[in-house]
Amino acid sequence: MLALVARRLMTAIPTLLAIILASFFLMRLAPGGPFDGERPLPPETQAALQTAYGLDKPLWEQAWIYISRLVQGDFGPSLVYRDFTVSELVAQGLPISLTLGGLAIVLALVIGISAGLSAAVRAGKAADKTIMMLATVATALPTFVTGPALALLFGLWLGLLPVSGTGDGWSWLIMPVVALALPVSGAIAKLTRAGLATVLKQDHIRTARARGLPETKILFKHGLRPALVPVASYLGPAAAGLLTGAVVVETVFGLPGLGRYFVQGALNRDYPLVLGVVTLYAALIILFNLFADLIYGWLDPRMRDG
Amino acid sequence: MSLYEIRDMAIQIDGQPLVEGVNISVEAGKCTAIIGASGSGKSLSCLTPFGLTPGEAAGSIKLDGIDLLKANAHQKLKARSHLTGFVFQQPLTALTPHLTIGAQLKEAAAQAGPSALSRHELAQKLERVGLSRADERLDQFPHRLSGGERQRVMIAAAIAHQPKLLVADEPTSALDASLRGEIMTLLDELREEQGLAMLLVSHDLASVENHADHLIVMEEGRVVESGATVDLITRPQDDYTKRLMAATPRLDEPAPDLPATGHSLVESKDVSVIFPKPGWRHGKIKAVVDASLAVRKGEALAVVGGSGSGKSTLGRAIAGIGPLTSGVISWQGEHLPGRRDRDLAMRALIQPVFQDPVASLDPQWKVRDIIAEPLQNLRPDINRPNREVMVLQALCDVGLGEEYLDRTPASLSGGQAQRVAIARAIIAGPELLVLDEATSALDPLVGSSILQLLAELQRSKEISLILITHDIASARRICHRIAVLDEGHIVEMGEMESVIGNPQAAATQKLVAAS
Repeated sequence: MLALVARRLMTAIPTLLAIILASFFLMRLAPGGPFDGERPLPPETQAALQTAYGLDKPLWEQAWIYISRLVQGDFGPSLVYRDFTVSELVAQGLPISLTLGGLAIVLALVIGISAGLSAAVRAGKAADKTIMMLATVATALPTFVTGPALALLFGLWLGLLPVSGTGDGWSWLIMPVVALALPVSGAIAKLTRAGLATVLKQDHIRTARARGLPETKILFKHGLRPALVPVASYLGPAAAGLLTGAVVVETVFGLPGLGRYFVQGALNRDYPLVLGVVTLYAALIILFNLFADLIYGWLDPRMRDG
Repeated sequence: MSLYEIRDMAIQIDGQPLVEGVNISVEAGKCTAIIGASGSGKSLSCLTPFGLTPGEAAGSIKLDGIDLLKANAHQKLKARSHLTGFVFQQPLTALTPHLTIGAQLKEAAAQAGPSALSRHELAQKLERVGLSRADERLDQFPHRLSGGERQRVMIAAAIAHQPKLLVADEPTSALDASLRGEIMTLLDELREEQGLAMLLVSHDLASVENHADHLIVMEEGRVVESGATVDLITRPQDDYTKRLMAATPRLDEPAPDLPATGHSLVESKDVSVIFPKPGWRHGKIKAVVDASLAVRKGEALAVVGGSGSGKSTLGRAIAGIGPLTSGVISWQGEHLPGRRDRDLAMRALIQPVFQDPVASLDPQWKVRDIIAEPLQNLRPDINRPNREVMVLQALCDVGLGEEYLDRTPASLSGGQAQRVAIARAIIAGPELLVLDEATSALDPLVGSSILQLLAELQRSKEISLILITHDIASARRICHRIAVLDEGHIVEMGEMESVIGNPQAAATQKLVAAS
C-alpha cells in the first residue's frame, strides 16, 4: 500500500505541473488584463504596473518564475486585492470550501448508499422504482436550481434557515451542503443499486446463504463491500464535481469560500489568484483520487495485487 | 431409513414445471451421484429443497427425520445450516473476495451454533483438506490461492460445522484433470472419516463413477435410470444412459482407427513466449520455453497439460494470434512470421477454434455473416454469390442445415454454436485447425459428437489438427500423437498409444492416472 501511495505522489508532480502550465498559458490567451478597469489607467501607469509585477517579460520566463516561486510555497501577490497575497486569500476561503465539500461528500455517501441499498433489496418493487426515479431527479437538477429553490422554501417562506452568509452556529451550512450533496447522492444511489444487483447474484452470496446466515448479515458482511467498488471509483470525479459545484453554491448563498475568489479572479484577470486556486483544486482532486484508490483496495483485496 | 430421502419430487419456477418424479436417497457414509447434461435439472433437484434456487419443490423431502416441505422457516433454516454443508462448482467465485480464509472458515464453523475455535483449530481444519502452510493461509484472501486450493477451502468450510449431509454441485468440473482425482479422493476420505452422507452432482460420468455408491441419471427433468453404480455401469438399461456411457471417453477403450498422415506441414522450433509480470512488479513469466514440435499433413496432435502449463499460449503462437518471444515457426520449410506480419495467404492456412463457443461468436451477427467473415477478409477474390454457396457448404460440412443461416448465436445450443465456430474456421480452406479446449465447455454427449465431427473433417478434408486439451481420454479418440506440457516445457512427446501405455514424465503419469 505504501508503494502505491509513493507511486501516486510521484506521478502527481508532473500532472500538477502540466495543469499549472496549461492554465497559465490558456489564461493569457484570454483578452484583457488585470489593470483594465472601467476608467483606463494612463499608459505610463499601466507600463509601470506591468513592470512591477513582471508582466512585461516573455511568457515562458513568467511561467518559469511563477513555478520556481510556487515550489518555495509562494503563490505570489493578488493583482486585484492589492494588499493581500494569494496565500492570505486562500487561507480565508479554503476552510469554508473544505467544510462545505467535506460535509457534502459525507452526506452524499450516507444518503446515496442507504437509498441504493434499500432500492436493491426491494428490486423490481414500487419502492425500488420510486427511489431510482428520485435519484435520477436529484442527479439531473443543477445546484443553481436547487440552491435558490431551497433558499426560497426554507429561508424566505418558512424562515427556518439563514439565506446568505456565515451566521452563528451551524444552521447556515445546512442548505449549501444539501444543495451540493444532492446530485452526487443521486449518482451514488444508482451506483450502489447497480453494484448490489450484480453482487447479490454472485456465487459467494449463495455460499453465505447456504450457511443459513440471516439476510441482513449476508447483505452487509458479504454483499455490500464488493458492491461499493463502482462508488469508490466515482469518488474521485465526485470530489472534483463538489469543488467546482461549490463555486455556484458559494455564490448563491453568499459564502466567502474559495469559489468566489476563483470566479472573481477569473473575471478580473487576477492571474496569480486563479492559478493559485487551480493548483489547489488540482492537488485536492489528485489527493481524492488517491483516497479513492486506497478505498478500492480495501473494498476488494484483489485490486491490491494490480 | 436413509438420512436424506426425496420421494416423487416436482420442481417448478414461475409455474413452469422443470423437474418431475425425482426420487433420491442418500445414506450416511455413502455417496449418491446425479449425472446429466446441463439443463437436465440435476442441480435444481439438489439445491431447491434447501431454498438455494428460485424454484418451488413439491413431494416429500426428508432430511434426518425433518420434512423439509412441511417444516416451518426455523426448522428449514436449521436443516440447511446445521445438518448440511455445500460445495459449489466455481471455486473462483464461491468464496467472498474481501474476507480472509480464516474469517470465512470461522463463519462456516459457527453456522450450527456459537463456536469459539482457536486459530490453531482453524488451521488444523485447513491441514485436514490438504493445504500446506495452513496458519499463513488463514490471513490470506481467496484470490491469492489457486483453483484447487480454493476448492479445498470450500470443502473445509462446508464440513467445518460437522454436518450430516454434504451436497457437492459439480465440485471438480472447474478444475483440471489431475486435480479432479485429488479432490474426489479427499471427499471420499472425509465421507468415510465423518460418516457423511454425500450427494454429488456432475455432468461427467468418468469423474464420479469410482466414487459414488449409487447413480441417478437425469435427462430433461426426469430420472431415466437409477441404481447401484456397478450395476448401472455394467448393465445400463436406458437408451440415454447407454449413449452417455458410449460418449464418455475412456483410456481402456480400443484404440481408434486414424487416417494415414502425409508430409510435414507445420513445425515449431525452440518457441518461447515470455510475458512481463502484471502491474509494476518486476520479473517475467515464462509461459512457453523452447517448445519444438511438428504436425504432418492429415495428422492430429494433442497438446495436453494442466491449467497454466502454457498449452494455449503455444497454440496461439503457432496460429499467429498470440505473442511469440523467440523461436521459429515454419510452414513446409518456409518461415512464418509473427502475428502482425502474416499475410492473408498465411492466415488462411491456420484457423483457430476456441473453448467457449457462445462467447467466440458475435451475438449481434447472423450465422451466415459469422461464417462468411473469414472469406471476406482472407479471400477477397471470391464474389458474393460464390461466397453464399461456400457458406452453405461449410454449414453442411459441420452437420447443420440451411435453416441455421439466419439464426443468431443466442438461439443456438452450445454444440450448435461450436459447429458454427468450426464452420467459420474451415470455410477459407485451412490446412490446420488449432482447437483450444474446443470440447471441454460442452456436455459429454455434445462434446463427443464434436470430436466425431472433427474426425470426419480429418478424413474428408485431410485437415491437420492441433487439439489443446487437459483431457487425454478424449484427445485419444482423434489424435495420432501427443505432446505433454508442464510449466511451459514439453516434457514428453510421442505416438499417442505408446505415451499412454508407458508414460515417462511425472506430469504425463499424473494426467494418465487422472483419466
